Amino acid sequence: ILSYSVFFSTSVCKESTAVFAANGIDITPRKDQGVFKVVKRQGLDGDRPMIGDKVTVHYTGKLLTGKKFDCSWERKEPFCFNVGKGQVLKAWDIGVLSMQRGEVCTLLCKPDYAYGPTGNPDKIPPNSLVVFEMELLNFEGEILTADGGIMRRIKVKGEGYSNPNDGASVDVHLEGRCGDRLFDCRDVGFIVGQGEDKGIPLGVDRAMDKMQRGECCLLYLKPKYGFGNEGKPEYKVGPDKDIVYEVTLKNFKRAKESWEMDLNEKLDLVSGVKTKGNQYFKAGRHHQAVIQYQRIISWLELECGTGMEQHKKIQDYVLTAHLNLALCFLRLKEFSQAVDNCNKVIEHDESNEKALYRRGEARLLRNEYSLAMADFQKVLEVNPLNRAARAQLSSCQSKMKEHQEQEKKIYANMFQKFAERDSKVCKLTKRRKDESMRSGMNGEVGIKRRRRSQDCPS
Amino acid sequence: MLKVQIGTNLCGKYFLISTACYGVNYTRHLFIQRETPEEDLKPEDYQQFRDVGAACLSGGDGQQLLKFIQDEKNQVTSLILDGRLTLDESRAASVGLALSALHKQLSRLPVPYTQQQEEADEHGLCCCCVALATFTRPFVDGVKKKDENCNPTPEDDELKAEILKFCMLSLKEPLLEAELNRDRKSTLWLFAVEIMIILSAIRESLPGLLFFSSLRKFTTMDTDLSKESAACLAYLLFVQLIAMDTFPAVFNPVFILQCNMEHINQLLSRYAISKLQALFAKSLEKVEDNSLPVGVLDLESFYSAPQILYLINTSDCYFFPNVLCLFYTNTISYRSLLCRCMLKTSHHAGVEGYIVNNIRSQIQSTIKGEANKWFLGTELLLLLELVLSLPQAAETDLLTNMDKIMESLNLLRYLLTRDKELKSDADVWEELCRIKDEYLKMLRVCISMSRAYYSAEMKALKEERKLKQARSTRLLKTITVKHDKVSHMSPEVQYQVLQSALVTFDLMESLVVRIDEITEEKQGKPH
Repeated sequence: ILSYSVFFSTSVCKESTAVFAANGIDITPRKDQGVFKVVKRQGLDGDRPMIGDKVTVHYTGKLLTGKKFDCSWERKEPFCFNVGKGQVLKAWDIGVLSMQRGEVCTLLCKPDYAYGPTGNPDKIPPNSLVVFEMELLNFEGEILTADGGIMRRIKVKGEGYSNPNDGASVDVHLEGRCGDRLFDCRDVGFIVGQGEDKGIPLGVDRAMDKMQRGECCLLYLKPKYGFGNEGKPEYKVGPDKDIVYEVTLKNFKRAKESWEMDLNEKLDLVSGVKTKGNQYFKAGRHHQAVIQYQRIISWLELECGTGMEQHKKIQDYVLTAHLNLALCFLRLKEFSQAVDNCNKVIEHDESNEKALYRRGEARLLRNEYSLAMADFQKVLEVNPLNRAARAQLSSCQSKMKEHQEQEKKIYANMFQKFAERDSKVCKLTKRRKDESMRSGMNGEVGIKRRRRSQDCPS
Repeated sequence: MLKVQIGTNLCGKYFLISTACYGVNYTRHLFIQRETPEEDLKPEDYQQFRDVGAACLSGGDGQQLLKFIQDEKNQVTSLILDGRLTLDESRAASVGLALSALHKQLSRLPVPYTQQQEEADEHGLCCCCVALATFTRPFVDGVKKKDENCNPTPEDDELKAEILKFCMLSLKEPLLEAELNRDRKSTLWLFAVEIMIILSAIRESLPGLLFFSSLRKFTTMDTDLSKESAACLAYLLFVQLIAMDTFPAVFNPVFILQCNMEHINQLLSRYAISKLQALFAKSLEKVEDNSLPVGVLDLESFYSAPQILYLINTSDCYFFPNVLCLFYTNTISYRSLLCRCMLKTSHHAGVEGYIVNNIRSQIQSTIKGEANKWFLGTELLLLLELVLSLPQAAETDLLTNMDKIMESLNLLRYLLTRDKELKSDADVWEELCRIKDEYLKMLRVCISMSRAYYSAEMKALKEERKLKQARSTRLLKTITVKHDKVSHMSPEVQYQVLQSALVTFDLMESLVVRIDEITEEKQGKPH
């Protein structure tokens, strides 16, 4: 530590650059002396971060003059980013990938690998050499979905800025493992969104749009994105198992995006998409069905068509897609999404029986009893013969009663409780008043906030 | 259920706060003299203030409450706050409800857009913002203290989430619409600063909100809110430079630009023109010359770039010359970006033909002008990929796409005559030739298929006429072109249509042949 602070003292700086260069290692791939590293403290021997990993570091950045321009310790907030993806300075991507967990090191960076000729307006002059002290606190795979069900670690970085979109045709090499056992190894081509047809797990399919051409990565899949609670007997994988797939994206061809197609193209293709969605739904593959139905909506929701007939055709497709999505989301227990889709239909058609019924179902399952009842009642207005709706209505009423009984119990003694509390408050305030009057701090009673520890217990 | 009235009696001396709780049949009246010395307030008064406060909020009278707090800042605020702090049951949720309700009242007030309006504060928005910030402070301080003492509970996390929601709501309204100026620290500016301070106090990472939020599930709000708020946050940070000094300085400017494009698109959808222009310019400023990979421009978020430039062009924003300069020096050419966009989205052969013609003129002027030579590199290839492509491969309708195809062939012919200048980059030239060969191959197939089809139609028509002439003098016949029936045309006219189609194919083919000839000539020449 002593030598470290000497290192940064202004008077010594110029010589120290040379010292640095002499003691440090050139960690650039091209060995152009752009980044020198000196390890200050060894990390835990073991693996190093992989490209795309979410890394957590603490750092201090200084100019050669010793002036500090950035410091995460001062913010008391470790800094997180995905390494090796061009999110940060080039020197950092190279530097952090070379570190081990717990390692502390110093990086001397030439401007090409740091702030370049532009510099950074207030803090860093153009063409500056900079020094970073880094500590690698942690690293973990990159989470690709909000529910954390797919985690990726990249072995070989791909290239290019485009990724396979839904409908793209991809060529991949797959290796699936459960524990250490390899159960699936093949070269296969499939269409993104329809990987199910070739026995590709949902997680691999969904990860495609984050992969680059030529990339090789490991995907850690939770059961929801793997083989679910059924498992896959052909592969001898049991229910609710985590699996790992090594995927190499050899090549792909993007499908046209909605704005790249004209209306006629879309109308030609849409019935096929709908059929596909229905197939998946029948087979119980609700996630996959959702993907297809959402495609229909993304293609057609902003289209008007020319003439009444075409306009009606488009509208039918969109509304049916929303109804189907609502049903899928009911099965997937994503009730708010179910409600959203029903709402889209009801906006257009207040008396749509199916939409009202499904929205009622979703609301009932969310314990929104009065709203659910309103929906089922509307269904019966539209179609008095709907027996299912009648049954649901009585189910609502009995559930609501149960709920009210419970609430009564909770709030029965509410005012009693308040009265009890009032008397406690009175006692406390009086005591404090007395105390403060004794200490002579007049006029400040009540302005001092009561400490939590003196609160009345609930 | 609860009805609340706050008012003053005739001489302005007393506040009458009455609550009537109809369900349970009891009422409380509270007369409080203004400027009542603290000591004279009884404990029951504290309790009633608290209940009244709650009642105000649930009854939708938050604005009155805010004004009340503002007016009687010193004593009453602390009383009500004291009351709040002793709420034990689901404190976070009730704080959240209070903040949401208060903010809802705030959002109904119109946002001032000139300095005079802001200073006059006719509708009280600025005033309410200050009051709201004051109201929030104790909760934030409480949470911060807990963090420092390292014993936060799940309850604290819930409270943080509610405070975050309040910040996001405030960013959306009024800050997204407000006119903020760094040099004139107005009330709304200070409110913006306050929001940033709160975000820092609740340990909410700004990079997390601005760059990495796509994977985050916000428990207390929907994605639309978080997107709009994040856009405002980006503006406050990068343009107004609020909290910029503590923002990490280690991000790659290209990455920042990519992320900010999402925010810029949000601002565009909210029509916050000056804000988005400023954010766009600031983000471009830091990108080093020639470091923006051209492929980045194909990202969907960049497709609004021409729209933004158009807006800049047509307004008298002072960023105009700077941004255009940046654009030209940053390996993006405004026109080429526009061309690419339009080629991908216009679906109209006439327009496409016009654009291809435009591209040719641009190449012409680039070669003549000796400037912007980088345009003749990767960027040109990306343009050519779009220009030299048949939308339905071999089944492309050549007649519908005639305009574009003819212009494309002219462009190709031009490029070949300029091979000397273009060959300076060998890789680019090789790729250009590959694109050309693939295109011409496909086009030849297409021409021969179309020609065969139309010739067959012509032959059938001739046969029909012969038969008809032999039989009767009926003139009408229907031709099916694609799925539509072309009726009401006399056979003579139909014949002419088919004839001109064949002539068009001949014309196209002759161009292709000419291009082949030129290629061979050039290959024959020594280097």
